[in-house]
Amino acid sequence: MSSEPKTAAGHGHDHGHGHGHDHAHDDHAHDHQDPKWYSPARWLFSTNHKDIGTLYLIFAMFAGIIGFVFSGFMRAELAEPGLQLFNGTAFGGFFGSEHNYNVITTMHGLIMIFFMVMPALIGGFGNWFVPLMIGAPDMAMPRMNNISFWLLPVSFFLLLLSMFVPGPAGANGFGGGWVLYPPLSSTTGHPGLAMDLVIFSLHLAGMSSILGAINFIVTILNMRAPGMTIHKMPLFAWSVLVTAFLLVLALPVLAGALTMLLTDRNFGSKFFEVSGGGDPVMFQHLFWFFGHPEVYIMILPGFGIVSHVISTFSRKPIFGYLAMAYAMVAIGFIGFIVWAHHMYTVGMNVNLKAYFIAATMVIAVPTGVKIFSWIATMWGGSIEFKVPMLWAIGFIFLFTVGGVTGVVLANAGVDHALHDTYYVVAHFHYVLSLGAVFTLFCGWYYWFEKMFGIKYNGFIGGLHFWLMFIGSNLIFFPQHFLGLQGMPRRYVDYAEAFREWHHWSTIGYWIAAAATIVFFLGMIEALVRRRKAEANPWGEGATTLEWTLPSPPPFHQYNDLPRFK
Amino acid sequence: MRSGDWKYWALSAASLLGCGSAWAVPQDGGINFQTPATETAKRVQDFHNEVLIIIVAITIFVTGLLIWVMLRYNKRANPVPKKFSHNTVIEILWTVVPVLILVWIAKGSFPLLYEQDVMPAEAREEEIVDIKVYGNMWFWDYTYNVGTDNEFNVESRMLKVGAPDPSLELQPARGDIAQLSVNNPMVAPVGKYIRLKISAKDVIHAWAMPQFMLKVDAMPGRLNQLWFKVDEPGVFYGQCSELCGKDHSNMPIELRLLPQAQYDEWQVQYKTSPEAARAYLDRVQPAKAAQVASAQ
Amino acid sequence: MAGDVKHDYHLVKPSPWPLLASLAMLVMVLGGAGYMKGLWFVPQGAWWGPLPGLVALIFVLIGWWGDVLKESRQGDHKEVVQISLRYGMVLFIASEVMFFVAWFWEFFEMAIYHTLRANPEHSDLANPALEPLLKWNEWPIAQTDGSLVRPFDPFHLPLINTLILLLSGTTVTWAHHALQSGDRKSAISGLALTVILGVAFTCLQVVEYMEAGFSYDGSIYGSAFFMATGFHGAHVVIGTIMLMVCLGRLMAGGMKPEKHLGFEFAAWYWHFVDVVWLFLFAFVYVAPHIIWGSGAPGLGH
Ligand code: HEA
Ligand code: HEA
Ligand code: CUA
Ligand SMILES: [Cu+2]
Repeated sequence: MSSEPKTAAGHGHDHGHGHGHDHAHDDHAHDHQDPKWYSPARWLFSTNHKDIGTLYLIFAMFAGIIGFVFSGFMRAELAEPGLQLFNGTAFGGFFGSEHNYNVITTMHGLIMIFFMVMPALIGGFGNWFVPLMIGAPDMAMPRMNNISFWLLPVSFFLLLLSMFVPGPAGANGFGGGWVLYPPLSSTTGHPGLAMDLVIFSLHLAGMSSILGAINFIVTILNMRAPGMTIHKMPLFAWSVLVTAFLLVLALPVLAGALTMLLTDRNFGSKFFEVSGGGDPVMFQHLFWFFGHPEVYIMILPGFGIVSHVISTFSRKPIFGYLAMAYAMVAIGFIGFIVWAHHMYTVGMNVNLKAYFIAATMVIAVPTGVKIFSWIATMWGGSIEFKVPMLWAIGFIFLFTVGGVTGVVLANAGVDHALHDTYYVVAHFHYVLSLGAVFTLFCGWYYWFEKMFGIKYNGFIGGLHFWLMFIGSNLIFFPQHFLGLQGMPRRYVDYAEAFREWHHWSTIGYWIAAAATIVFFLGMIEALVRRRKAEANPWGEGATTLEWTLPSPPPFHQYNDLPRFK
Repeated sequence: MRSGDWKYWALSAASLLGCGSAWAVPQDGGINFQTPATETAKRVQDFHNEVLIIIVAITIFVTGLLIWVMLRYNKRANPVPKKFSHNTVIEILWTVVPVLILVWIAKGSFPLLYEQDVMPAEAREEEIVDIKVYGNMWFWDYTYNVGTDNEFNVESRMLKVGAPDPSLELQPARGDIAQLSVNNPMVAPVGKYIRLKISAKDVIHAWAMPQFMLKVDAMPGRLNQLWFKVDEPGVFYGQCSELCGKDHSNMPIELRLLPQAQYDEWQVQYKTSPEAARAYLDRVQPAKAAQVASAQ
Repeated sequence: MAGDVKHDYHLVKPSPWPLLASLAMLVMVLGGAGYMKGLWFVPQGAWWGPLPGLVALIFVLIGWWGDVLKESRQGDHKEVVQISLRYGMVLFIASEVMFFVAWFWEFFEMAIYHTLRANPEHSDLANPALEPLLKWNEWPIAQTDGSLVRPFDPFHLPLINTLILLLSGTTVTWAHHALQSGDRKSAISGLALTVILGVAFTCLQVVEYMEAGFSYDGSIYGSAFFMATGFHGAHVVIGTIMLMVCLGRLMAGGMKPEKHLGFEFAAWYWHFVDVVWLFLFAFVYVAPHIIWGSGAPGLGH
């Protein structure tokens, strides 16, 4: 916001009453009581954006734990050369053989992306705070909002089920990487049912995201409070708006590619089958036309969250509001025309590679605008290092590290050496596991009290941050070295020469694991102690509308729309 | 870290500065590229190191700014926040300067890309050696003298401790390296333009050679090309670099570069038997010696 | 409605449909998976595999949209809600457009760059498994069984189909204008005509498919052709059903001259399907015909 947004009149009604509960109303005339939190119908049949947001967050947490445990399996396997877990005998053969390592890696990637980061940032925080921030009583299509959520557990079930049905001959599960390249993902590599289930799973997850995205766009375009022009809208709403457009335009292309893959597998079509004139490279084009926008889908909402947190705890309006908003638009737009930087080694024409180098590097410019504007927001501010601010500052640093290695990768000449090595793994975990996940925790600690009406223990939050910061840097920084030395990705076993850094990386994992345990302990502590939260714990820096409501907000807020000037 | 590791650090630090040490295999604890083995690879690494300096500088700059604002503008040092939220000059600066940096990077990047991808014009027909490379689940095969009477095929599989087939048994005493050495290495002559034509029989694989800074997917149905020219004999290791299923990590590439005469002799030996060829290689280019020689 | 709600947005009541629809889709998909590979109660090749889920889904959707209708009738769809629904439909169509981008991209890539794949410099023709590719100098390329592809002559059935769809675009507009000016009878005739034209299109398309000189699993040409036109055909069917529902509601006295979102959306959808067809006709039927000629001339349709 360029100026201090203030709500002149309006929701004073809710405001006066501590909880706001007494006067919030469901829309049926005969039912003046908010549903009880333990009522199953409240959760199963919900049409309330805050409840659906909570469902998304719980789901994301659940999926996050699974993805996190899977990354533990990988790190344990990679702790030293040789086969530790995936050797057919360890733990009574529980982990199976090498193929299962690929299954775990694939599932880790898919789960973290589709079932952890996206549900948490877009489904969870987006649902909770887009309506609150723009002064809307709910999402535009509350019932559709609910199916966007319920498709996810269904889709996740299919994904998990795929691990227990036949994949390649003689083994279970799909182990072809989250990018699903045929022919490894077609009948040549995985004739069994597993891959079909993965395809269906992603179809449903994609449907969920498209419907959710449509809902966000409509809500943001049509339901802003009176007086809130699009150029006064909070940056988080902007970020979700851009993200939603990316989803609507990118996901159907993935769905198309998946459908072609499905019929190649089952109905003999030849889209990616060389013997019938098809081309596996075509799948990669379609996949990355979705896949690259997808990576910005995962980070843009985080950009939005960080903007608010930085501004709140610097007690200063965000620097360059309009530039911040349009930088995201630019990132989203350019994100659609750089996809083939993931394909420098497929044998592309050299002039095309040159084009993709140029286009890719351009993205660094709007991203730089964001980084520098955040710093400029802090500049001259009066900074308080509360827990969310720690995550936000940590994010700026880590995302810069991850971003600049992206610029290295953009140069095809260098990428010829680094493609499919751990350098890429390091790059994308810096922007994802240390970028997107840090913004996730940033938003979590920023809005926790607002959402649940209780306070967490700041010390535990800080401990979580520092352990995570140290742990995840230790996991992923050495992976740059591994990649430069030539260590390929998706390797269950490696040469002696890569021992050292893998060793450190695994130690880092244990620190990150400790951090994650501290996180959950902190949440349990908050739940047990039930310290009552204030409406606005952050003081005058927190200027967006959600802080004018009690914590937690009433079941239906803004029965009388806030006026925004 | 084990004792002696300081050496790697020192060497890696040296290569970071572009001086280059001479390790022929990936080094435990190494922090930069393997030693470049071709002219082009050397230039690509130099370019990378320049970009590395730039990105490190950018990161330090951002970090420095962060530390500065945290120290100077925390609540205690600056209790009353300022209210500004615009500054046109600085906004233009932080848009234009990155653009200039990127243009500078691109200027170095494009020529290298073309150098890597396009066989140099000065390569005369008789200086070019074509070798056909196929990726398979899970081994490589190399076809020499394609289309001539002399055509023959080398099947190259990883050596493994305790392999059921004795010819696939890893023998560290011979200089074999776990996960990198193969039974029948790929062989090519030095001083020639080696042109690989790469494809795959089943799923996608990728032929990668870190010391040449090269990697190309072996794509079913397509014939991808790669060229390199090495002037000194040596042993080079690479690994399959596109996920290809269960044994993706078990299909390395071992490349022996030999003087023309020895290359010819190896071909003769190979046609007798792969074992004879292997014995010949061990004689003229013992892997162990090669490693030691390139490691000093 | 509670007295102190002072806005026009529609706060929907809790609803079982989303959860049930998701479960129905799960059952459908598992049934589909069973049909393809065999899973639990569904043996491989059982054509009825996806049916139980599909039937359940249809019931759920009837219940869901029934609720929407009810809410609409009881006045929940105020002006601002209508705007939301309009935006929503536009975005849904936008996402469908991107779906078609995938098919068109595939078709263009294969049609335009086929010579690249037939070029010994780039293509792995020495591999005996890829023998059929040697015939790639021709587009459409031969099928894997060696038979030549005979593409359709665009100026027979496809042209008729184009005219049918264009005509149906005008009839649906006629019906819309009639509805807006309160002339229900003309609206019904216009819409009925549109439905008939839609069904006619589908029938002709079926005839055309039956006479195809190539098959979905024959080669990339058949795959790309049938995927693009088949997916379009599926959209024609969906659009026709939407129009039929509107027709039913019109005849039952529903739809007001000033508010008839269901009709509008069906009409938009229909126009979208229409435009996609024009692209298909121009680029999948006509352009290849002009550039490469029609494989084996003399074949009808
Ligand atoms: C959140 C997710 C995310 C984000 C934001 C990014 C951001 C970027 N990515 Fe990344 N990327 C991934 C997730 C992400 N990526 C994933 C998951 C993969 C691997 C997929 C797979 O194969 O499995 C991948 C892979 C990947 C590749 C392919 C590597 C390979 O497989 O060989 C490339 C190549 O160009 C690339 C480039 C970039 C670039 C240039 C950016 C830029 O947007 C970064 C811009 C940011 C900055 C540059 C820092 C801040 C800017 C400044 C401080 C200004 C000044 C800076 C300069 C002048 C340089 N990425
Ligand atoms: C968002 C995406 C994401 C995240 C967070 C992570 C997190 C981690 N990843 Fe992940 N990884 C991928 C995406 C991600 N990864 C992808 C796409 C691939 C490529 C797959 C492929 O090759 O196909 C990959 C591959 C990959 C590899 C390479 C495997 C190989 O190539 O052989 C390794 C190896 O170390 C690894 C390790 C880890 C570790 C140790 C973490 C740790 O950081 C984990 C630490 C724990 C957390 C970050 C917290 C977890 C979160 C919660 C508990 C939820 C909280 C929720 C709320 C508050 C609502 N990952
Ligand atoms: Cu072959 Cu990986
Ligand atoms: Cu990308």
